[in-house]
Amino acid sequence: MIIRGGIVYDPANGIYGEEMDLFIEGGRIAEEAAGPELDASGLLVMPGGVDAHSHIAGTKVNTGRIMRPDDSRMGTEPRNPVCRPCTGYTVPNCYAIGYRYARMGYTTAFEAATPIINARHTHEELEEIPILDKGALTLFGSNWTVLECVRDKDLAKLAAYVAWGLRASRGYGVKIVNPGGGEAWGFGANVKGLYDTVPNFDVTPAEIIESLAKANEMLGLPHSIHLHFNNLGKPGNYTTAIETLDLLKGVQASRMRQVVHIAHMQFSAYGGTGWKDFESKGPAIADYFNRHSHATMDLGMVLFGPATTMTADGPLEYANSRLLHAKWANCDYELEDSSGVVPLVYGRKMPINAIQWAIGLELALMTKDPWKVIMTTDHPNGAPFVNYPEVIALLMSRPKREEEIATVHELVKSRTALPTLEREMDWTDIAVMTRAGPARILGLEDKGHLGKGADGDVAVYNLRPDEIDPSRDHALVKAALAKARYTIKGGTLVARDGEILSAPPGRTYWVDAGVAEADANRLMADLKDKFDRYYSIQISNYMVQDAYISHPNVIRAGLQVREGEDRSSHALAREA
Amino acid sequence: MKTIRLSLTTEETVPIEAERISPDQMAGLELDQIKCLEAWLGNRRITLDALFSIQVEGEAQGPESTTIVLEGDFSRVKRVGERMTAGSVIAKGNLGMHAGNNMIGGDIHIMGDAGDWLGREMRGGKIVVDGDAGNYVGAGYRGERCGMRGGDIVIAGSAGAFLGEHLCGGSIRVEGNCGDFPGAANQGGSIFIGGSTHLPGAEMVKGSIIVGGHAHMLPSFVRMEDVEMEGERFVKFSGDLVENGKGEILVAETV
Repeated sequence: MIIRGGIVYDPANGIYGEEMDLFIEGGRIAEEAAGPELDASGLLVMPGGVDAHSHIAGTKVNTGRIMRPDDSRMGTEPRNPVCRPCTGYTVPNCYAIGYRYARMGYTTAFEAATPIINARHTHEELEEIPILDKGALTLFGSNWTVLECVRDKDLAKLAAYVAWGLRASRGYGVKIVNPGGGEAWGFGANVKGLYDTVPNFDVTPAEIIESLAKANEMLGLPHSIHLHFNNLGKPGNYTTAIETLDLLKGVQASRMRQVVHIAHMQFSAYGGTGWKDFESKGPAIADYFNRHSHATMDLGMVLFGPATTMTADGPLEYANSRLLHAKWANCDYELEDSSGVVPLVYGRKMPINAIQWAIGLELALMTKDPWKVIMTTDHPNGAPFVNYPEVIALLMSRPKREEEIATVHELVKSRTALPTLEREMDWTDIAVMTRAGPARILGLEDKGHLGKGADGDVAVYNLRPDEIDPSRDHALVKAALAKARYTIKGGTLVARDGEILSAPPGRTYWVDAGVAEADANRLMADLKDKFDRYYSIQISNYMVQDAYISHPNVIRAGLQVREGEDRSSHALAREA
Repeated sequence: MKTIRLSLTTEETVPIEAERISPDQMAGLELDQIKCLEAWLGNRRITLDALFSIQVEGEAQGPESTTIVLEGDFSRVKRVGERMTAGSVIAKGNLGMHAGNNMIGGDIHIMGDAGDWLGREMRGGKIVVDGDAGNYVGAGYRGERCGMRGGDIVIAGSAGAFLGEHLCGGSIRVEGNCGDFPGAANQGGSIFIGGSTHLPGAEMVKGSIIVGGHAHMLPSFVRMEDVEMEGERFVKFSGDLVENGKGEILVAETV
């Protein structure tokens, strides 16, 4: 395939709006190619979008669907010769997730949190999401084995467990949600800070985070730890955020990337002592990121309208449901974690919601380096992902922000810095925050750029960067980003002007990390005991089998990478 | 004034979904266009003329001067008058489920019985039923936090269970008896039941329910003082305490 004459933004390769032709051969970007030609003369061309944090598959997404038949009705689309029927808005069905991302020019999305014990369900849903390449991050923040290894200061065994957990769940990276809190919630309690002790384990969240970060780097995983802070969603929690970030300053990265990625930063950038004096600490957080380089974040932007909050932070969802008098689902995952789901509506006249909205924009606009920030709405916690064009239009246009500020609660003017911010992002910033940045942060070498050998994922938009002024023409920008002129996935034209033309299956990424055989053996003896005594299922039924991943893309990490052999990895497989 | 008459030409046993039978959809259309409006017969897409004989008299400026008359037993025809804003629908016999869904204005008169979900999530206008109505009159559909928000529903006969579930406004009047759990999870609005019912107001937080006959009350309501209204004595209850609610229920006889 040849894409002719587009204005290409490929910041990972130093291309900032140059007119050029793109060639895709065998599903990858090439120097020349045959086949059909697409005319993109003068149009905006970027790599396919990459979403590094989105709740698109698994038990809590499905719980959201079950408890929200009202949401199902908000997004029904009948089937057609290419597409299967779609439902839902905040919690769309699997098909809708694939088609709607593809319409916006996105070709990759990562599910943000999966307990190992429920990973099979996650993969069953990922299998049904058409078009997209995807992966799932695995939860490690409250697992008993993690807590015990941390207590015993046995990093080698912890790394072996992380490697085994990724293999068991066919997971891509280490997700940590309110570390220790998931375990405490089993007893109706929570951990209130970094140095609060987890009941029955005599470890603190600080120790869990630091140990997992070190284990992550021992294994040389493509992604860093992916952290949801303690005290998330509470007024005054920005101090916990900064304290936690400081804790990780000394950890040495094993790859050219951050040592910690902060999930949905907006929910942890809060000041005030309670909801009455709730205020933004977005500027303080942005300032921290401007002064340090070991961490990256995704926004977790809140937009006004319906959302379905879902997280492994069980106690947070309990608090949400009490505060809002809303529906509540709660779950406990045996020896692993907890979770909750609460549907809600963000109102522009609600002071708290309006300030949350402003904080997301502050974080993006005040953090100078776009490579440190991924544009997300923490779908569907802050807003459904179909609203990304609205976020981008807000980031690119101060007049649009001013129009919005005039309609939201007036406390935005006194409790946030948003009205004073002049920055308007350009297409390079946007290409970084939605493509190049998330791919680099996740460690996806073939994604987020258009260099030779990269995946043939390309988005062409009905916008002429040389002619339009996004600041003034923000409505045009928003409309064009919602319906890509062309979305190309792996060299196949999948969408044109919002219409899905074909729906090939995407690949699922997972990380296979090898560890020393001695450590694997020590771990397996311990796990055998846990399964015998506590788990409701057998270890043989616990592992996600290869049959559940029909298009795998396995990334090797850990020992075998360094030693050039994968004996140790097989040790884990044999034991399991 | 425009009058559109529809009568069923076949006797169908599968449900018909015909949300286009509404003054808003039909006011500006000629007879031929009305005949070609789409509906669903079970899982088959059809046009209205496949099921109905249709006659049109007069001209209309808009929906407010349009009347739709349904002749025959329409008890299998669903979603008539959905989202209508003005004008009127007169069913000479029964009318099926979801009549007046999300209705905003105008009126619907059902001379026979109404099916389930009558006036669900309606916001305005008036529905009058000469016979009985099914379950979930004026309720919110599955998962919805708000049912009816405005308008009036008057039922001369009896109604089924979960009348006015999640009611947020408007009023429902049932002259006869009512099934279980009327006014469940109410957040406003008013319900009058002339006859008897069972367990009214479960999880209600606001709004009022008056029961002219007898009712079995939930234990989570507090008995308040007796009150007199139009010469009759009622016992007043407040609740539902399960939801820390401030709803009000007046019952003539408690069981």
